[in-house]
Amino acid sequence: MDLAAAVFSTLILLVGFWLLVARQIRAAVDGYAIQSILLGCLALALFGATRDPDLLALGILTIAIKGVAIPAVIERQAKTTYGKRELQYHVGFPTALLVGAGLTLIGFVAAARLPYHPALLAEPVFGVAIAVTLLGFFTAMARRDAVLQLAGLLVAENGVILVGLVVASGLGLLIEFALFLDVLVGVAVMGFLIARMHETVSSTDTSELSRLRG
Amino acid sequence: MTNAGLLVAVLVVPLLAALLSLVLKPRWLYGVAAIFEAATLGIALTLITLAVQGPALDCFGHWLYLDGLSGVVLLVVAVVSSLASIYSIGYLRHELREGAVRADELRKYFVVLHLFVFTMIAVTVSGNLGMLWTAISATTLASAPLVDFYGSHQSLEAAWKFIVLTVTGSLVALFGFLLLYQSGVGALGNSYDFSIPVLAGAAGHLSPVLAGTAFLLVLVGFGTKAGLAPMHTWLPDAHSQAPSPVCAMLSGAELNCALLGIFRVYTLAAPAAGAAPLRSGLLAFGLLSMAVGVIFLISQRDFKRLLAYSSVEQIGLICVGVGIGTPLALLGALLLIVAHGLTKCLMFFATGNLLLRFRTTAISGVRGVVQAMPWTATLLVGGALAIAGAPPFGVFIAELSIITGALAGHLWVLAAAVAGLLLVGFIAMVAPFHTMTFSRRADSEAVVMGDLNLLILAPALALLAVILVIGVWVPGPLEDLLHSAASVMGR
Repeated sequence: MDLAAAVFSTLILLVGFWLLVARQIRAAVDGYAIQSILLGCLALALFGATRDPDLLALGILTIAIKGVAIPAVIERQAKTTYGKRELQYHVGFPTALLVGAGLTLIGFVAAARLPYHPALLAEPVFGVAIAVTLLGFFTAMARRDAVLQLAGLLVAENGVILVGLVVASGLGLLIEFALFLDVLVGVAVMGFLIARMHETVSSTDTSELSRLRG
Repeated sequence: MTNAGLLVAVLVVPLLAALLSLVLKPRWLYGVAAIFEAATLGIALTLITLAVQGPALDCFGHWLYLDGLSGVVLLVVAVVSSLASIYSIGYLRHELREGAVRADELRKYFVVLHLFVFTMIAVTVSGNLGMLWTAISATTLASAPLVDFYGSHQSLEAAWKFIVLTVTGSLVALFGFLLLYQSGVGALGNSYDFSIPVLAGAAGHLSPVLAGTAFLLVLVGFGTKAGLAPMHTWLPDAHSQAPSPVCAMLSGAELNCALLGIFRVYTLAAPAAGAAPLRSGLLAFGLLSMAVGVIFLISQRDFKRLLAYSSVEQIGLICVGVGIGTPLALLGALLLIVAHGLTKCLMFFATGNLLLRFRTTAISGVRGVVQAMPWTATLLVGGALAIAGAPPFGVFIAELSIITGALAGHLWVLAAAVAGLLLVGFIAMVAPFHTMTFSRRADSEAVVMGDLNLLILAPALALLAVILVIGVWVPGPLEDLLHSAASVMGR
């Protein structure tokens, strides 16, 4: 069990880095899909160890909704809005990697300092969870493209769900449903705004949106 | 009807309104909005009365819950939402006649408006903390399409900034809620009911470090959504680009929903983590927000942005009031939630009238309102004085209580700083509205003369009357509600 948790959480963190440096929309969305599937597999592995039906539902829903449905919707949207062009950074590639490493360090230090009762997962997974959340936020901030900003927020959400697996595994299924609904509606609303953006400024580059000042 | 029935009804009625707006013929949209939102207000007021008279309403295994603290927010949400719905009718009819809005967009507007009201009411009656988080983040998702209602370049920019920043904030807050859950694991076991009464019952036994960290994360996360500086940057954009009735709801009601999330976690975390460090967090963000709000008030050239920055200032002051922590300051902060919500709603109605006539949000573009629209001029002057904190309006009483509360706690410097900021804010707020109302218009500027019809004026006039009454004499039931909320906060 500990081995499975270690493998899956390491992969989840690596995918977080991949998204940080992804050059194309396609790669970023695929990365999010893979990360979500890994997160779902981790929940399923935990179900194997504990036989807690909540974890089974969480694993299946994560894979179905976040691993398949949401990426499919975003990819369809992205295909209609652009081809395979390369994307702009706010910050440079090496800077992004350095900041990512720093954020990972912060995640592990924070995890080590918070006094919690480990139930299912050990401390290193907590560190990964916080790091992935921070990486997601940074991806959303460091990118100008709206689709990548959305992907960053979704990665951060994966990180927070992993935090939930570590510190709040007894939270209950109904709340997990509510969170899924929240993510689905959020993607729908942001997808709608992205489509509007393409209509209005013929791209999804958010630096085009800079008229409001003061 | 039983308490449980009423709690369900207050959620179902706006949801039903959204459903009916989706399927009925367009000519029914206005009627549905008026009747259903008025019904929501009626049920909400009944619920608040029940929650104040007896113990907190607690139904369906803690899933639905209403006490004094959430009652204060429910009061503002219900009053602002119902009046904004009625104001929307007159406002949109005018926009439709002028060709600013297409007939087919009306349905979308009302469906999303009712859903938005539903999410805000869900915030106030959630007993489960996971549901509380979900409802607060759902208010963002329901209001973002309304911010982009006019479909312009600017409204899109405002809506995008709004959603990206507040969703980020919500995720930070979710992290906080998860840590709050973990803080109770030691006392309540690994799997427990994550609800307000259960956690409040064990509040003294939560892990202090985790509860404190949870509060800090929720303060930053939902502080982003409440418009606390320095995370407020989306607010002036969103609150100026949306249609005026929506602005009234964003500023008057939605910000308070985020505040409720912060204050609820404060009440749960304070017994274990100690009230003093949590209060200093509220004071820091509150004072910074007041300072930023006032600075941007001074240089403002757009009257809707002026009102938005005033919200940053006032939300900051509410946090300062809670942060001071003396009973008087706490009561003042709770009264300010009500008084600011209603007064800001009034101001967005009054400036909405200006927008319909003058077709600009530039302060320099509006002159001679007193000749062109005497009723709107009355609302504008009364509202501007009220929101700036002049006696005898509700905001003044609340601000006075907060400052007096600070003095009672021997916080001399803090009291002086708050008073100074409010004074500068007063001048920066009143001066532009004075110019817009009383300066003479150049004759070359052609503006349609005459006030708007009663349907547009009535909600604002009602609000002006209410905030005047609150300022002169806080009615008994409201006083009971505020004391009930204060006892929840001081627990």
